[in-house]
Amino acid sequence: MPAGIIEARDVFKVFVARGERRRRRAFLALHDVTVTIQPGRFVSFVGPSGCGKSTLLNMVAGLVRPTEGAVLYKGAPVLGINTDVGYITQDDNLLPWRTLVENVEVALEFRGVGAAQRRGRAMDFIQRVGLRGFEHHYPHELSGGMRKRTALIRTLIYEPDVILMDEPFGPLDAQTRVILQDELLRLWEGTGKTIIFVTHDLVEAIALSDEIVLFSRSPGTIKRIYPVPLPRPRDVFRIHADPRFPAFYDRLWRDLKEEIGSEALEEAVHGNA
Amino acid sequence: MATRDVVLTPRGYPSSGQRLLDQVESQEAQRARRDRWNTTLGRLAFAAVFFLGWELSSGRIVDQFFVSRPSAIAASLWAMMTKEALFYHLRFTIIEATVGYLIGAVAGLALGFALARVDTVYRIIEPFIVAFYGIPRIALAPLFILWFGIGITSKIAVAAVMVFFIVFINTIAGIRAAPPQLLQVARVMGASEWALVRKVVFPAATPFIVAALQITVPQAMIGAIVGEFISSNRGVGHLISRAAGWLDTPGLFAGIFALLVVVLVMNLGINLLGAHLMRWNPKQGGGRDLP
Repeated sequence: MPAGIIEARDVFKVFVARGERRRRRAFLALHDVTVTIQPGRFVSFVGPSGCGKSTLLNMVAGLVRPTEGAVLYKGAPVLGINTDVGYITQDDNLLPWRTLVENVEVALEFRGVGAAQRRGRAMDFIQRVGLRGFEHHYPHELSGGMRKRTALIRTLIYEPDVILMDEPFGPLDAQTRVILQDELLRLWEGTGKTIIFVTHDLVEAIALSDEIVLFSRSPGTIKRIYPVPLPRPRDVFRIHADPRFPAFYDRLWRDLKEEIGSEALEEAVHGNA
Repeated sequence: MATRDVVLTPRGYPSSGQRLLDQVESQEAQRARRDRWNTTLGRLAFAAVFFLGWELSSGRIVDQFFVSRPSAIAASLWAMMTKEALFYHLRFTIIEATVGYLIGAVAGLALGFALARVDTVYRIIEPFIVAFYGIPRIALAPLFILWFGIGITSKIAVAAVMVFFIVFINTIAGIRAAPPQLLQVARVMGASEWALVRKVVFPAATPFIVAALQITVPQAMIGAIVGEFISSNRGVGHLISRAAGWLDTPGLFAGIFALLVVVLVMNLGINLLGAHLMRWNPKQGGGRDLP
């Protein structure tokens, strides 16, 4: 197997939480996770809540270290903040004191790009996602979809090789969600960038990804990796209409349900005890 | 059914809808104008009733010796301006309050930033800060007179200490309120520590800092005046305490009134600065409707 742009090797993660009477309780978030992600692929992580998908994403960004094992980026272990990647979270995390265009420019500013050049590039991206006319508005004056578009282009603008997305479209309404999925695919296709996309929505994962990584319930481990059997370019608005969609969706859902079902059962037992 | 032919206006509405829109907009503008006008009238009326009531009740309901009366205060103020060099004294008080304010604010900001950024340091000194904060700061005034003499320096020191703690504590609170996720995302985007402080941490702390800068303006004035009360031969505090010594109630009120005007002007300046710094904030800055 060729070396991937991102590799997790035998990764374990223990978190310490403060329990009752200030006693510190450790719990296992990730259990022996090994996965390789090839460059240029769109990969989704799905799994039950609390299975450690976001933790693995944070490890690629260098925000969290594995307790055991290693996460490699381009062959080298990630030891500090990984500024080669872009990170888009569920909250848009725009800087509320900056206008739209100033928010889009911020990463270029951090990277020392000159004022004239970064304004030009920012305006180009703003044009591409249809935000022209709003560039001097502050985030609180924008709709949820506009803010999400801004978060998207302020990451794409500095051209990171890998983009990590942690349930980016979670808080949006159903229509805006699909529209943004479509925009994401258009912006990404042909760039050769690698995307890791965490989601709870199986349809979203199928519509966007080349590969879907299914995590088990906590402690998270990788249950199975599925190649998505749909050709590109894709029409996210009519993804259900593809004849291969229903069977693939059913299989994915069956496997995921096992994890959710037993988790819910476990919770019920503990709750009654 | 065929679609209706409608003429669209520049804002994209059919012309009948646009007419209604214009009508509602002009009504709203009119109502807003009327509201503003009513507020101004109400304020003038309140001031008139207040001063008139004071003037009339003084000497009839309350002993004029204690409360004086607006006309006597105005006369006393005029006398102060023309004969007693009010502006000369005012200048000292303003210099003391302003210099003290600036020193206290800058020191509070700088030390707040220095301490809040390092978690361990902050945890160690936190209880000491709380303890110092508990000291009634005005009680330090005699000590400063002892240290710095009866000149202008001791009053500046009192004013500075009045301002310092509030700015210091609010700066720390503001910095610690910066959302950690925002910091993480900025780090991944390639922000250096310095860029992080300048472009994320500092702006995130501005609501706290601006609030502190606003509430400490009168505090600086209190510091300067109390310093002058304790011992001085210049300044409005000196004028007031001298008037009190002569049992000159109108003179006393005249001094207070002069201070009131100064603090109002200072407040106005700092509020303008605050509104400018906070223009991005939906609660403070002017919101804008989406077109």
